[in-house]
Formats: sequence, C-alpha cells, structure tokens
Amino acid sequence: MLLESLEVHNFRNLSGKVSWSPGLNLIFGDNGQGKTNWLEAIYLLATTKSFRTQRPQEAIRFDENLAIVRGVVARSREVQRELQVTIQGSTKTLSVNSKREAVARYLGQLHTVAFTADELEVVRGGPDARRKFLDRGVVSLHHTYVQTLADYQRVIRQKNRLLQDAADAELSIAETAARLEPWNEQLIGLSAEIHRARVDYVNRLNEALERKLFGHEEVSIRYVSSLESKGDLSDYEALLTDRLRLRVQAEMAAGYALIGAHRDDLEILFDGRDMRTFGSSGQQRSALIILDLAAVSVYHSWHSEYPLFLMDDVDAELDRKRIDHLLEYLEGRTQTFVTTSKEGLVERYADRAYLVEVTNGIAQEINTSVSKSSTVITGTAGI
Amino acid sequence: MLEYAEPVTKLIDEFKRLPGVGQKSAQRLAFHVLRMSEAEVERLVAALEEVKRKIVFCSICNNLTDVDPCRFCASTNRDRSIICVVEEPYNLVAIEKTRSYHGLYHILHGSLSPIRGIAPEDLRLANLLPRLRPENNDGVEVREVILATNPNTEGEATASYISRLLKPLGVRTTRIAMGMPVGSDLEYVDEVTMDKALANRHDI
Ligand SMILES: [Zn+2]
Repeated sequence: MLLESLEVHNFRNLSGKVSWSPGLNLIFGDNGQGKTNWLEAIYLLATTKSFRTQRPQEAIRFDENLAIVRGVVARSREVQRELQVTIQGSTKTLSVNSKREAVARYLGQLHTVAFTADELEVVRGGPDARRKFLDRGVVSLHHTYVQTLADYQRVIRQKNRLLQDAADAELSIAETAARLEPWNEQLIGLSAEIHRARVDYVNRLNEALERKLFGHEEVSIRYVSSLESKGDLSDYEALLTDRLRLRVQAEMAAGYALIGAHRDDLEILFDGRDMRTFGSSGQQRSALIILDLAAVSVYHSWHSEYPLFLMDDVDAELDRKRIDHLLEYLEGRTQTFVTTSKEGLVERYADRAYLVEVTNGIAQEINTSVSKSSTVITGTAGI
Repeated sequence: MLEYAEPVTKLIDEFKRLPGVGQKSAQRLAFHVLRMSEAEVERLVAALEEVKRKIVFCSICNNLTDVDPCRFCASTNRDRSIICVVEEPYNLVAIEKTRSYHGLYHILHGSLSPIRGIAPEDLRLANLLPRLRPENNDGVEVREVILATNPNTEGEATASYISRLLKPLGVRTTRIAMGMPVGSDLEYVDEVTMDKALANRHDI
C-alpha cells in the first residue's frame, strides 16, 4: 500500500497538502517546527489514534474546533481510496471515499508499523507494552480480534469490580465463586482466543526475524503465558478453568483478576539474555527494530503488500551504522517516513530520499532527483 | 450567580438526570419547553403523571402494564409451556414484531454488571423459578426457557447465570443464536458478526 498524498487542516500546527514518494521520505526541519506532527498525522490516518495523546481534542489547533486529516491511499495501480479522519471536540469520525465508516471497517485500509520513542517501552518497559505490540500485530492480520480484546477487557473490568465489591460486602468464598462463574466462563473463552492468536503471531514473527541484522548478536522471542509451569498448556481452557477455581481466595484478597491472558508477556532475548535487564540502550533499539521489521514481514506474507514504516527522530534513536542498515533493508520494500533534525543525514540521503522540509507546520518539497506522485502544494489549503 | 434564572436552571438540572442527556441537550430541551404553549406543557405533565400512576410491573413476568397480570400473561392464546427471558420491555416488543413467537415472557429489567452495581438480586429474577411449577402456570408444565439477553458481555453473563439456576430443575434452556442479519448481503455484514456466524455454523 502507498500513501500518495496527505492533506491536513488544523491538525496541531499543520495545514496544507504533501505528495509523497513511494520509497524513502525524509521529513526534516528544526525542532518544534512540526516534523513529528506530519508523522503523527499519517499514524492517525492509519490507526485513528495518536502515538502521543489519548485525547484526540489535544491535536486540534488552538482556537479551532475541527481538525481534518485526509489521505489518498493506493492499494494497487487501479484502486485508490480517500481516507479521512475528522476530529471535532472529543469525537472522531472516519470516512472512506467520503462515506462514513465504522472503526472496524475503516481499520486495515492503511497499515503502519511505527518506531517511536514511546514504542521503546516494548524492549525496556513492562509487559503491558509488549502485549500491546503483539495485539497490534494480531489485529493487522485479523481485524475482528479488536472485538475479542474489547470483550476481554470488559470482562476483566467487571470481574475486578465484582471482587472489590465482594471484599467490601464480606461475601463468603463460595458466594463470590458463584458470582464469578458467569464472568470466568467468558474470561476462559476469550483468554484462550487471545492466547492462541498471540502464540500464532509470535511463531510468525520468529520465522521472519532478521536475527543478526545489526551484527553478530542474536535476537530471539518467546511468548510466556502466565499459566506456564502451572500445567498442560495444550489444553488451555481446562488449565485456566482449574486455576480460576483454585485461586478464588487469592483473587478476592487481591481485589482484581490474577489469572488470564492479561498477565502474559513476551520474552525478548539478546544472545540468550533478557533484553530488558541486560540490554544496552543501543541493543534495545536494535532489538525493537528487528521486531518491527519482522512485523512488516509478517504483514507482507499475510496480505501480499507492505505496510508503511514510520520512524520518528531517527538519529536520536539510532547511530549512523544502524540507520544505514535499516534504510537499506527497507528499500524496495516499504514506503518509509523518517523524521530528522540533522543536516548531515539529509545530505547523506539527498540522492536516495524524497526530501520534505517542515517550517512552522508547512511542508515543502526540496528539489531532488527522487520522483513523487504529483506536485506539492503548500500553504493553508482550503478543504 | 446562576447562568439562567432559577426555574430554568432547575429544569435543566432535572433533564440532565435523564439517561443520555448532557448539558447541551438539557439546555435545548429546557428552551424547547419554554417555547411550548401552556396546553402542550400541561399535556406533557399529564402524560408523565399518568404513566407513573397507571403503569405497574406485571406480577408474573415483570412487563410494564396497566393491568395486572399483563395481556401476555392473561391471554388464553399464548403457549404457556415456553418462556422467553429478555433484558428490557423493548426487547419483548422486538420479539413480538416477528409474530412467530407465541410463548410467554420474563423481563429482567437489566443485566448483570458489577460496574453499574447490578448484582443478581437487582434483577427481577425471584419470580422466574416459581413460574416453572405447573400449579403456578395454569397447570401447564414449562418445557423450555429461551435466554434472549443481549449478545454482549453483560448479556452473556446474565444468560450464563440464569442457565446455572435452571440446570438443577431439568428444564430445557436455550440461548438465541448470534450471527447473520437475514436479508442482507454477505458483503455488508460487519466482520465481527461474520466471524460469529462462521463459528456458529451448523450442518444442513
Ligand atoms: Zn405478564
């Protein structure tokens, strides 16, 4: 898939339209000019979410009440679709070819794999970031998994509340267990679905890992179920049923759900050692890129097309050698969007990249030999 | 100081207590009331009072009714051997529209939801089990209870809870099927529904 052009209106400090190259797009400019905002706009168009804020209204330009991000996506030579995300107050509306769409049908029209500072949590933060990484991957293959996750979270919230209320009301263990049953029954089904989907996705990632992309160290990953060592994982439902029955008292004491897929993790090893504890900052970044590239590859073998690859502030995150390795790997595969504030990098890639300079939110093409889809329009275009 | 005169503020605050009504809608409703003629306002007030005065819960099925038992429970034309359990009175209306169900109903007035503070004892369930005894059902034995709660996590939990209650009694308990809306093109069915329909496929 290809993002041919992007038109933005009152999204942060951006306004105007940019046409992109099918290869490497290098977005540069001084800090605070809005480079990352362009990347965020692409990410928003793909995921309907921001990688910086949970509250959409924060992305609307100050003193305005409506932000629009609209892009033309080419799925093939013949098939082009216009996607649009409109933010008004705290609500977002989505449309495809000017027709409103529900999220479930909108997602999947444009897929991105994004390397951002926040995403480093995957290799150095808590298990939550790693579960989210896996879930994003599963959703990229099966959109209906979004509903499975939503149902699971809902069941966990209900169960947590029930456990707290049971403790407050000093209910007996038997009574609490009886009240938990309708929720645990759903928890078992959904948790099993999530477990299998993540295990399958990790298997696919493992097959696609470019283990030694950045040198001789080897990256490996393994899905770690919280039920591991508790019994036979091949009959997941039976094992989980057993554990839930045994642990009612512990869950009552804790006041929240202790067992299920929401407690699982992804183990990331670098030369056999746990990345989070033993990895240097450089190794952690390398490992994350290797994971992201594996996600790109898995997406490609499933859909027979590449997602977009986004990378914010590339030189802050990677050294020169790694940048070169990465961009070389991506060449001929993904449409890539990279931001930088370093002149040196821009000069080094001037002959291979489509250069876009961002000043005060406005993006301007810098003349190079690299082709693009059509001409660049700058300034505050009316939408 | 209040933004609006006291009576207007009071009315806005009352509207805001209603489900799904926020500040903006409450304001719009209040100003609409101010524009209404005196006769229209009286009609609205009378309708509100009348519904409170005349509508009661059916003592058998909990349906909202102006006569007790309600017209379903009192009817001699309904099949008394089958009871369909729904969450809300408007779910009953939806099933009635099919004209293919001729059994009785049982309305819970809600679904299990610890988050919303709804426990089993908050549902209108206590009068369901006695209905299954023939002596409480015009001598007719109930052979099936259909659980038609909503297909979301709360509705599923409620159905699961009731099926556990009914199990020791040996009455046949069924859950309505989830899946494809009929009369629609496969193309227009959302993926989640399609997924469920595929998972729940059956032999023909
Ligand atoms: Zn009745």
